[in-house]
Amino acid sequence: MSAATLPGRRSATAGRALRKWSLPGHFVLAIIAVLTYVPAYFMIDNALRSGPAMQASPFALATEPKWHNFSLAWQASSFAYPGTIFIVVVSVVGIAITTLASAYAFARLRFREKEIWFYTVFGLLLIPGFITLIPLYVQMSDMGLIGTRWGLILPYLAGGQALGVVVLRSAIEAIPEELFEAAKIDGAGHAWMFFSVAVPLSMPLVIALALLNVVGLWGDYVLPSLILQGDSSTVSVAITSFTPPPMTPNLDSYNVQLAAFSIASVPIAVLVLVMMKYFVSGLSQSAVKL
Amino acid sequence: MAGSTTVVATERRPAATVRPQRRRSVRRLVLERLAAVAFLLPTLALIGVFSYYPAVRAGVTAFTRWDGFNPPVWVGVQNFTQAFGDPDFLRSAVNVAIWTLFGVPLAMVPSFVVAELIFRLRSDRAQFVWRAVFVAPLIIPPVVSILIWQFLYGPNGPINTVLHSVGLGELARSWIADPKFALWALIFLGFPWVSSFNVLIFYSGLKAIPREVIEASALEGAGRFRQLVHIELPLIAGQWKLLLVLSIIGVTQNLTVPLLLTNGGPGNATLTPVLYMYQRAIDYGQYGFGMAVGTLLFVVVLALSIINMRVLRTRS
Repeated sequence: MSAATLPGRRSATAGRALRKWSLPGHFVLAIIAVLTYVPAYFMIDNALRSGPAMQASPFALATEPKWHNFSLAWQASSFAYPGTIFIVVVSVVGIAITTLASAYAFARLRFREKEIWFYTVFGLLLIPGFITLIPLYVQMSDMGLIGTRWGLILPYLAGGQALGVVVLRSAIEAIPEELFEAAKIDGAGHAWMFFSVAVPLSMPLVIALALLNVVGLWGDYVLPSLILQGDSSTVSVAITSFTPPPMTPNLDSYNVQLAAFSIASVPIAVLVLVMMKYFVSGLSQSAVKL
Repeated sequence: MAGSTTVVATERRPAATVRPQRRRSVRRLVLERLAAVAFLLPTLALIGVFSYYPAVRAGVTAFTRWDGFNPPVWVGVQNFTQAFGDPDFLRSAVNVAIWTLFGVPLAMVPSFVVAELIFRLRSDRAQFVWRAVFVAPLIIPPVVSILIWQFLYGPNGPINTVLHSVGLGELARSWIADPKFALWALIFLGFPWVSSFNVLIFYSGLKAIPREVIEASALEGAGRFRQLVHIELPLIAGQWKLLLVLSIIGVTQNLTVPLLLTNGGPGNATLTPVLYMYQRAIDYGQYGFGMAVGTLLFVVVLALSIINMRVLRTRS
């Protein structure tokens, strides 16, 4: 695990001093976990059932799966996937590159107004998204970007900066000075130190943040519902405003919607499972705080 | 805050030793500045155009009457006085105060309990597995949990079925359509409120406590509860602060839940300032008034964040 090279990692658990607690710990965690997973179970289970069956017994297992729900759901929402994937990928990769560069500058470069600029970025954490929602909508319409993917990507790029820069700055600051010194002796400039030391060593955290961004943007609702409508909707908006095709009995429309959401969570599920290692250890390794 | 850090940075510079090579070091400083500009430009350009500009514009628009098409008309503080005279707005302020008071602890405490329980497990492997278990629910789109709770709260939903079956049928109701219960139903939504992100942040804080500190206190005979209160809680104050700020912002700007579930109803029982702002601006085209509401809310949130950062100083 590349994470092993990150500083601050403790090979042994601090909790070792507190051994005896494990069994009740597992038990309580299991109960909380079951409760936490109820929505996931409900979504997948009822995506495979009919409306009346769900009303009669909401948590009963789908013994005769109605796969038809899934084909209806896919027919109604598949159009939104290519556009949404494009938006999310461009935004997340863009956020990763730009925040890494700024975090490096704040962590390693010497320039006079450093703290002022840092707090300019940090301050965005305190400016909640709602305050810019409406002016952003107006601005996008002034710029002619309503109905276009860039109308969503540009605000997403900006919105991902604050948390990324703050978190990555502390991660890069925690990289041992000797690693940079070694590169400096070899005559490396900042560009080289950035690519050969800072980027690889903060990768687990970058991936964790990227994953967090993917999840957030994939499920985002309010801004996409304002910027992109109708045929260009994002997946989550398309499904939320889902109206069943004329021939479907209306009784099942909620279940078809759940089926559509189940399909929409597959790409995220695959990504989270593949990247779990980075996500769980990346965020856990550097103590993020105020 | 910014000033003091800069002073420290200048003191560190070894002024005497660089004097013979002054020209080279000046050149290096210039180069370093250029590098800084190159590294920072994309971030600063993005946040300037798409975060700060709209935020400033919101603040300016708040003092105008504007329908989004015709040129805005300057009206001074009229939007603000109008807001404070509007019972709907006052009700929304009370609602969000209640929501924050109960919602913020719910956003933090369960996640902390989970992080603490995981942290105290014996094996690293078990710790990893449990963290993975609590991270995985990320994959459920937030809109889905809203839809699911909508069904759970419905007149024929499972909650009422349970009430009927245990003989409390008279308590059954359409939870989000009852003015007395709607707001509480929205606050309760998301039970048991364990957030993947918050769990990992708390866990990382606990993990960063030097092992020796905990071991020393164990040797001194401190019980688990005393360790929790005297060592772990103070040493992860930074994490609590971060999540407190983020949770307050998260709860106060939660637009999706009331927008999709109740649209502020019944009556204005679940109206929040953000929803009120949204409705006025988007549905009624009163952008100036909507922005005044947004600005008021922002000032309150900012004040809370600053108080939070001042009061809960990180001990290091």
